[in-house]
Amino acid sequence: MRFPKTFLAIAAFAATLFGQEPLDPAKLLQQPTDTWPGYNGDYSGRRFSPLKAINSGNVQNMSLQWVYRSTAPGAAGVAIKGTPLEVNGVIYLTAPDHVWALDARNGHELWHHAHKSNGGIHIGNRGAAIYGNWLYFETPDCQLVSLNIKDGSERWHKQVCDLDQMYYASVAPIIVKNHVLVGVSGDDLDIPGYFEARDPETGDLQWHWSAVPLKKGDPGFETWPNLDAAAHGGGMTWGTTTYDPELNLIYLGTGNPQPVIAGQKRPGDNLYTASIVALNPDTGKLQWYFQPSPHDTHDWDNVEVPVLFDGTVQGKKTKLLAMACRNGWFFVLERATGKALVHTDFVKTNWAKGVDKRGQPIPDPAKEPQFAGALVSPNQGGASNWPPPSYSPDTGLFYINAIRAYSVWYLYDLDDKPEGWGGTDRGGFSENILEAIDVNTGAIKWKHKWDGPGGRSGVMSTAGNLLFAGDASSNFVALNAKTGDILWHAALGSGVSNAPMSFELDGRQSVLVAAGDTLFAFTLNDKPDYLR
Amino acid sequence: MLDQAGAADKHILDPVAAERGKKVYIAECITCHGPSARGGSVPPNDGPDLVRSLVILHDRYGSTIGPFIRKNHPTQSGKPASGFAQADVEDLADFLHLKVSDTMRTSPLFHAQNVLVGNPAAGEAYFKGEGKCIQCHSVTGDLKGYGNKYEAIDIQQRFLFPRPGGRGGRGGRGGGGGGGKPIMVTVTPASGPAVTGVVDRLDDFSVSLRDKDGAYHAFGRSSKVKVVVDDPYKAHTELLDRITDTNMHDVTAYLEGLK
Repeated sequence: MRFPKTFLAIAAFAATLFGQEPLDPAKLLQQPTDTWPGYNGDYSGRRFSPLKAINSGNVQNMSLQWVYRSTAPGAAGVAIKGTPLEVNGVIYLTAPDHVWALDARNGHELWHHAHKSNGGIHIGNRGAAIYGNWLYFETPDCQLVSLNIKDGSERWHKQVCDLDQMYYASVAPIIVKNHVLVGVSGDDLDIPGYFEARDPETGDLQWHWSAVPLKKGDPGFETWPNLDAAAHGGGMTWGTTTYDPELNLIYLGTGNPQPVIAGQKRPGDNLYTASIVALNPDTGKLQWYFQPSPHDTHDWDNVEVPVLFDGTVQGKKTKLLAMACRNGWFFVLERATGKALVHTDFVKTNWAKGVDKRGQPIPDPAKEPQFAGALVSPNQGGASNWPPPSYSPDTGLFYINAIRAYSVWYLYDLDDKPEGWGGTDRGGFSENILEAIDVNTGAIKWKHKWDGPGGRSGVMSTAGNLLFAGDASSNFVALNAKTGDILWHAALGSGVSNAPMSFELDGRQSVLVAAGDTLFAFTLNDKPDYLR
Repeated sequence: MLDQAGAADKHILDPVAAERGKKVYIAECITCHGPSARGGSVPPNDGPDLVRSLVILHDRYGSTIGPFIRKNHPTQSGKPASGFAQADVEDLADFLHLKVSDTMRTSPLFHAQNVLVGNPAAGEAYFKGEGKCIQCHSVTGDLKGYGNKYEAIDIQQRFLFPRPGGRGGRGGRGGGGGGGKPIMVTVTPASGPAVTGVVDRLDDFSVSLRDKDGAYHAFGRSSKVKVVVDDPYKAHTELLDRITDTNMHDVTAYLEGLK
């Protein structure tokens, strides 16, 4: 059937307007199908798409749908690290200081917003959040910015951190009820980490949770030598947050303590740095904590995704949380209480002497950075990092693009009161391994070592028995989620730089992934039903 | 990337002014605030840590430091703080911003300390015994005079991480840089002869190499294409899982002594 061009133009215009309709809040509580409304797709952090139109039986026929690459000043050449959102047929894509709205059907740019920056580290932007008609993103110069999703115009911006203290912002905000949850970055100076809830209408502060004690007697104060050390003790909140609506708890990881490497004058566990914490989203009150890296001295931010799923423990259905930590350890916790059920390393590590009665690793003082050097696995980048993992309820496996690495850790600072960094690591061995971990035992069910010298990417699993991942070269790869067999790949010219996501639109499943400054969409083109 | 830390309009350090400011600091401030400006420790000379001070961190060329100290701030010399010359305030600001910069990971002050803490004799024993180094290396051959060629820390890095193109951690530097031996690959396609050369690129889907004449060869990978990698650094990689820190320091001391 043929339609007049005029009609088609009107239809396309109408679709565009429809596409920028507000996000239905109910979508935030559902599995991601026709919508990918938040950084992880849903609140669980599982990055599991229930879609199966593309599956292990037909993924060989998946091919390019469209490509988008911005040529905007300041954006070209900047790696896309964020996971785009998809709401009502529109993709919302971010890079530091930039947001784009794209037509999800063809990658056509609908609008572009460029934030005028006042500085800060532009290491990456992990994504945006949407609440009704409004989009929220954080900027390297410490601003929480709200845009109108219809045209990208700015509604307001609010300062959420202090550039002079060398904070910056990179994390994707998360919407929970009427809260915009925001975290902060920065470990150049000895400053306190914190996490905040902001009003989605005004950006005003609703609550502020400090990752470290700010006065004597605050929770965790006993794990620091004095108030000066505690109140400058770090613990940034630049990782993503997950949420259990039934328990009404949010889960987030906290960053490394300060000083980063020279930790000899902050003896103690240094709570609540390098921890997993459960907070009430309405008040910011701490419900429980679990600390994977007590007294960290290796820059091992514990800000990896706290992935939520249900399992059976001693015959009872149990709410669980799993994290593959930068320090090389994998934990499964009861997410109502923080009790550890599984604790094991997922790459070979050598920095812990065992675990304490709570299941937390006991750091070996000999493997803290030394003036003459200490050989430690993993290295500073860690066995995992911000690139998100995935959990498939179909396979019961937790997937992570892991790195096994060694480096030598040196103390540099001879001062009586080390501050800032005070040392670093040096080292040149690492290898990339895609792992599927059995959440019941922590055992590696299967793994695939990637050849090549490249980085790491996030991953996504689907109900189509697929696992999507970037390799250590520049390939985007689909694997059989049960077995790890490679089923499909495409070389993207640059390493995969974010985590894949998927949605269904017009009855067609798309898979999106970024490599460098370019966003790629793939779909099944095997049975086209083109308009004639 | 790390140079981006802070505000776009942050105080730009003037090292010459900082040197002048150091004299002001020594004359008027050091007793209470300490030699690194990280605070005094013994009362009554236990002034606050200036590196962590918001007055300093918010300062631009004396903009907050000047008004702060001119409000009757105590001085070592006893002269009224209200009389501080603007030039002295600005020089002092440069010095204090330098002290902040000294704590950052990019600080030029941060460098390796003495890594020669091992026992050379024990290092020699490990080299010839458990470490199996002697199977490939000779102190009268490839390692002759090794201690004259490199600093001790580079020796340590080179024997642990000899692989070329190694990556350091965030803020760290790479490994030893290798001994120049390339990673080789031999590819035997389903039809045609085997081809051997230096790995150009290798992943699950393709392999490419440069042969001894520099010619480029590329192959798609499949079950019918045999790929054999010859990694000359394999023994060093395996060593990482076995070597102790004591062994590491001993071998460093031994190799450094090969003059």
